[in-house]
Amino acid sequence: MLKIQNLDCGYGRMKVIDAVNFEVGAESVGLFGPNGAGKSTLIAAVMGMVRPWKGSIELDGKRIEGAETHVIARMGVALVPQERELFPGMSVQDNLILGAAYIPHAKDHTSDQMEQVFSLFPILKERRTQYAGTMSGGQQRMLAIGRALMSKPRLLILDEPSLGLQPSIVAEVFEVLKALKSTVSILVTEQNVRESLRAIDRGYVLENGRIVLEDSAEGLKTNPHVIKSYLGL
Amino acid sequence: MVMKRRTAIIAALSIAAAVVLILWKPTVLIYGLQAAGLYAAVAIPMGLVLGIVHIVNLAHGEFMMVAAYAAYFGCKALGMDPLLAIIPTAIVTAVFGWVIFQLTIRRALKAPELNQLILTFGLAIAFTQTINLIFTSQTYKIPLDYVSASMDIGDLTFGVWSFVFVAVAIIFAYGVKFFLTKTMTGKAAVAVGQNPRGAAIVGIDVYRTYGLVFALALALVGAMGALFLTKSAIFPSVGSPFTMKSFCLIAMAGIGNIPGILGASVLLGVSENFLRAFRPTRDWAEIVFFVLIIAVILARSLKGRKS
Ligand SMILES: Nc1ncnc2c1ncn2[C@@H]1O[C@H](COP(=O)(O)OP(=O)(O)O)[C@@H](O)[C@H]1O
Ligand SMILES: [Mg+2]
Repeated sequence: MLKIQNLDCGYGRMKVIDAVNFEVGAESVGLFGPNGAGKSTLIAAVMGMVRPWKGSIELDGKRIEGAETHVIARMGVALVPQERELFPGMSVQDNLILGAAYIPHAKDHTSDQMEQVFSLFPILKERRTQYAGTMSGGQQRMLAIGRALMSKPRLLILDEPSLGLQPSIVAEVFEVLKALKSTVSILVTEQNVRESLRAIDRGYVLENGRIVLEDSAEGLKTNPHVIKSYLGL
Repeated sequence: MVMKRRTAIIAALSIAAAVVLILWKPTVLIYGLQAAGLYAAVAIPMGLVLGIVHIVNLAHGEFMMVAAYAAYFGCKALGMDPLLAIIPTAIVTAVFGWVIFQLTIRRALKAPELNQLILTFGLAIAFTQTINLIFTSQTYKIPLDYVSASMDIGDLTFGVWSFVFVAVAIIFAYGVKFFLTKTMTGKAAVAVGQNPRGAAIVGIDVYRTYGLVFALALALVGAMGALFLTKSAIFPSVGSPFTMKSFCLIAMAGIGNIPGILGASVLLGVSENFLRAFRPTRDWAEIVFFVLIIAVILARSLKGRKS
C-alpha cells in the first residue's frame, strides 16, 4: 500500500525527517514518538503538503512524492489531521458531503457512506445541521474521521486522534479504529501509546526524525524502551 | 430573539425613512435606489472574491473599465447594441480574468495579504495607464434611445432605465447565493475559503477553485462593463471609484454576507442622493461612503467590545 524509502524532509533548512524507511500494508500501523519527533511532518510528506528532499514515497507502486495533496487524496488516501481542518462555517452534513464529492471512486456513494458514518458516530446524525465550528473538540474529531471515511479510503491516516479528548471519547475513537481495521489500511500516530496498541498490528517509534524501533504490537508492549518511555511503567 | 428585534427595528426605521422621502423628496429615493443597484451589482462579484475566497482585488473597478472598453469597441465594430454585448463581454472578461489570475494573483496567494494588495494595486494602475496610452483620456459613449425612457407620476418625471441595475443586482445577489449553497462547486469554493488545507485534504483542487471563482466573478464584472456602457461615458479612470465603493459596501454588509450588500448599497445610494439634493451639502455626496464605513466599523468594534 504505502512504502517510504530513505526519506529526508523538513522546513527551510531544518531537517525534520532523517532517512526514514516505513511501510504500511493491508494492516493497521502505529507511529509513536514524543512531541516534536516529526510524526506530523512525515504524514505531511505523504499527503504532499511538505516536499521531500530525498527518497521515495510509493502508493501501490506509484511514486507520489511531490504530487499535489488533492491528487493524493483522490488516489484513496484520507487524512484526519491533528488540527482537524474542518470547514467550521459549514454544516456537519456539508462537511461530510465534501469528504466524498471530489473523490472519483466515492462521489457516487455519498448517501451510503453517510449512513455508515452516522452508524459509527450517531452524534453526527443528531447534529447534522449544526455548524462544524460550534461543536465540541471530541465531536469535531469524530466529524474529521467521518469526513475521511466518506472518501472510501484505501489508506486512512489519523494524526494523534486522541489529542485533547476526554478518556471516554478516546476509547470510542479507538473502538471505531478497531472496527475499521478489516476494511481499510490504517496509519495512526499517537503519543497515547497504551490505548493505541490495542488497535494496531504493528508499530514504529520515531525519535528526532529517525525510526528507532519497529515491531509488532505484542513486541512493542514488552519492549523495555517502549515500557520506560511511553507506557510509563 | 435579540437578532429579530434588531432586524425589526432596522426594517421599521427604513420604512419610516422611505415614507418620509417619498412625501418630501421622492427623487432622492428613486435615484438613490438606482445608484444602489449599480453599486451593488458591481460590488457583489467583489463580495464573492473577497468575502468567500479571501482574495483582495484592488483592480476590481479597473477590470470593469477594461470590460467596458472591450464592449464599446466590440459594439462599434459590429454595430451592436451594448445589451447584446453583455454575454460575450462576460465570457471575454472571465477568460481575461482567469489568465491574469494564473499569471499573477495565483502566485501571491501563499504570501502575506499585503502582497496581494500591492500586486492588484499595480494591476489597477497598469490597466488604467494601458487604456490611457492606447485610447487617450478621451471619453467614449454610445448614444441609445431607450436609456432616456422616463416615467411620470403626478408632476414628477424621472428616468427609469437605471432600474435595470437594481434588477441585475438582485439577480447577481441571489444567483451567487444559489451558487454557493446549492452547487457542489460553490460549496467547494466556500470550503476553500474557510480552510484551504482542509479542502485539499478532501480532494479539492484549491488553486483551480480560486481561479474558477475569480473567473466567475469577472464574468459578472464583464457583464456589468457592457451594461455600464448603456448609461455612462467611459474613460480610463471610470472604474476606480467602484473599487473603493465596493470595498466599503462589503465591509458594511459584513464579509461573506452577499445579500447584505444590497442593503448596504441602498443606504449608500440614498445617502448620496440625499446630500446631493441640497445645495450646501452637494459636494459632500462623494465622500459619504467614507463616513458610512467609519460609522459601521466603529459600531462593530463597540459591539465587539461589549460582547
Ligand atoms: N510548519 C512548520 N514550519 C517549521 N517547522 C515546523 C513546522 N511544523 C513542524 N515544525 C517543526 O518540526 C519538528 C517536528 O514537528 P512535528 O512533525 O509536528 O512533530 P510531531 O507531530 O511528532 O509532534 C518540530 O521541531 C517542529 O517545531
Ligand atoms: Mg504532530
